[in-house]
Amino acid sequence: MSARETILDAVRSGLGNTAVDPAAVRRDADALLQDLPSIRPALLADGLVDAFIARVTSPKVAATAECIASASELPAAVGRYLEAFGLPALVALQPAAPLQALDWSGFELHDRVAPDETIAIGVARWGIAETGSLVFHSGADTPILANFLPLHHLVMVRADTILPFLDDYAAATAGQRPPRNVNIVTGASGTTDIEGSLVLGAHGPRFLHVVIVGTPDSSE
Amino acid sequence: MHEATMSFKARAEEALANPTLKIAIDRTTGTAERKRAVAMTQFPQFDAARERGKRIKDHVIANLDHYLLEFERNAIASGAKVHWARTAEEASQIVVALCKQAGAKRVTRVKSMLGEEIGLPHALDEAGIERVETDLAEHIVQLGGDRPSHIVWPSMHRTREQVSEMFKRLHRAPHQEETIEAMVDSARRELRDKFLTADVAISGANFLLADTGATCTVTNEGNAELTTTPPRVHIVTAGIEKLVPSMGHAIAMLRLLVRSATGADVTQYTTFHCGPKQPGDRDGPEEFHIVLVDNGRTRMLREGMKEMLRCIRCGACMNHCVVFRQLGGHVYGGTYPGPMGAVLTPVFDGLEKSRDLPHACTMNGKCQEVCPVAIPLPTLLRGWRDRSWREGLEPATVRFGLGIHTFVASRPRLYRLGTAIAIRVMRLFSRGGLVKGMPGLGAWTAYREFPAPAKRTFMEMYKDQEKGQ
Ligand code: SF4
Repeated sequence: MSARETILDAVRSGLGNTAVDPAAVRRDADALLQDLPSIRPALLADGLVDAFIARVTSPKVAATAECIASASELPAAVGRYLEAFGLPALVALQPAAPLQALDWSGFELHDRVAPDETIAIGVARWGIAETGSLVFHSGADTPILANFLPLHHLVMVRADTILPFLDDYAAATAGQRPPRNVNIVTGASGTTDIEGSLVLGAHGPRFLHVVIVGTPDSSE
Repeated sequence: MHEATMSFKARAEEALANPTLKIAIDRTTGTAERKRAVAMTQFPQFDAARERGKRIKDHVIANLDHYLLEFERNAIASGAKVHWARTAEEASQIVVALCKQAGAKRVTRVKSMLGEEIGLPHALDEAGIERVETDLAEHIVQLGGDRPSHIVWPSMHRTREQVSEMFKRLHRAPHQEETIEAMVDSARRELRDKFLTADVAISGANFLLADTGATCTVTNEGNAELTTTPPRVHIVTAGIEKLVPSMGHAIAMLRLLVRSATGADVTQYTTFHCGPKQPGDRDGPEEFHIVLVDNGRTRMLREGMKEMLRCIRCGACMNHCVVFRQLGGHVYGGTYPGPMGAVLTPVFDGLEKSRDLPHACTMNGKCQEVCPVAIPLPTLLRGWRDRSWREGLEPATVRFGLGIHTFVASRPRLYRLGTAIAIRVMRLFSRGGLVKGMPGLGAWTAYREFPAPAKRTFMEMYKDQEKGQ
């Protein structure tokens, strides 16, 4: 008997060989995701953008955030960031249309992220207010390594793509073919492996800066 | 003598005599305990979430054959190759064969307890394949040539001074400054080119999603993605109990897992891996393999231990265990330490070899209290004790001692008298609330202080209460 058959047989005999009704299993599984508010934390603020920013900048996530009115202001925001850190205007830009379309004059750009890249600019598909997370999908315009190799990661996310809870991301993509990688990124890379003390920049970025584009809650 | 061949008692004595071990354990488990406690105050939904998490896992286990087949079907549709392994050896052989097939000289690994359980590090070394551990703690374990001592912080047994010394000796461009930041940087430099030049990546999975065939990893360092993206082949090894119906269920479990493990709300990186590189993708492996491993899990199902299959490997039970916090993880002798390890190791290694583990427990119930899926660990441990007794594995002295215990314990008045005497004797040796150097506690109090018993026993106070005092 193959290993597969042996294991499945052992599972069935362990369970008492009862017949499975797939429709009933599905109903039970769905029922386990009812009443989500009772099993997840509340948001930190009423408005989604405010709640998102509160999480991103909380000590637990320890990233930084700023808001801009439109994407065209992103290059200026990047310029300010570079200046604050005293970094040259040499950046890796994710090959995504919303970023490529902007006016980057004054910057030296490349789209391949080097192993020791200082700074990469990316765009997230979604933000999650519950956790202050950014969601990326691998694809033709999203190399996964670009999220992990640079020391500084600057990420643009549109205010209208901020979802309340992680569950809303699952619901938004249910039934679609998943990409090879879904990265849910929450803050910069960190480790507590030496005596439990937190150090940032373990293997991935040491700095994560989130730029939110669009109307903040307060002016809605 | 190699610790695996030593008796539990000998290992425990060695651990107690190690002057730096207790410091190292306290630094990490103390932080973990505090951070979890804070996370709980910020998550008043924990009790309800835990009940739900328990039900999700029970639902999966009750329909495990259904979910295994659904997962397999969807994983294959995503372009993955699915392999099945009955035993640890079979699982390691499959992985090594896949590495050889890929002509692998160097493999990078993401920390996975299942990988440790099936002996993968050893199997790869035996096969002459260069193995690079990329999780910082596993990297420290690899440099030190020893074994993980905790399932979340495998190098917890090392102090910063020891790590510094190893990095200076073994890294190509080691740190100059004596800070943890500088040490982490040294490891970052050391591992960077290895991520990018490996032929095969091996990871575990925190969850397997039945409805898409995706696997989920959680890390704080970002090493999982750096490991699994550049090589041509990515191999996932996972226990068959890791299934969940869908991403929504994984999310409900993640909220429990991360808070219980580190006190964070989510890990920095939560990644769902589904199949190999897709047409047009900028990066990713050409081949994606998943090895589904039984290794005793179906036996647990058969032998009345199915609650243990809920375990999501968060480590909270060991962080809160008084025995673990005195002795550390190596003493347990198996892959998994602490209370969950004391339940699991007899499954993997046989009760005869590990019968001491279910006894290394004070039955204070703390582990069950903090377990995010409410596993009745003390009951399962008691089950092993009973079985060890029934199968005649207990040595004569213990059988005799326990015989007396049973005789006395089944006669409540005698029992109360006995404990009252014992506790009074302990009080004699107590100084400022701590028991030091009491005869009979020997090795324990030579190195440790034992919390002194309360001034009066619970039964004494209870009786006073009843008398209206
Ligand atoms: S037994 Fe419970 S507390 Fe211990 S590791 Fe497993 S899930 Fe966590």
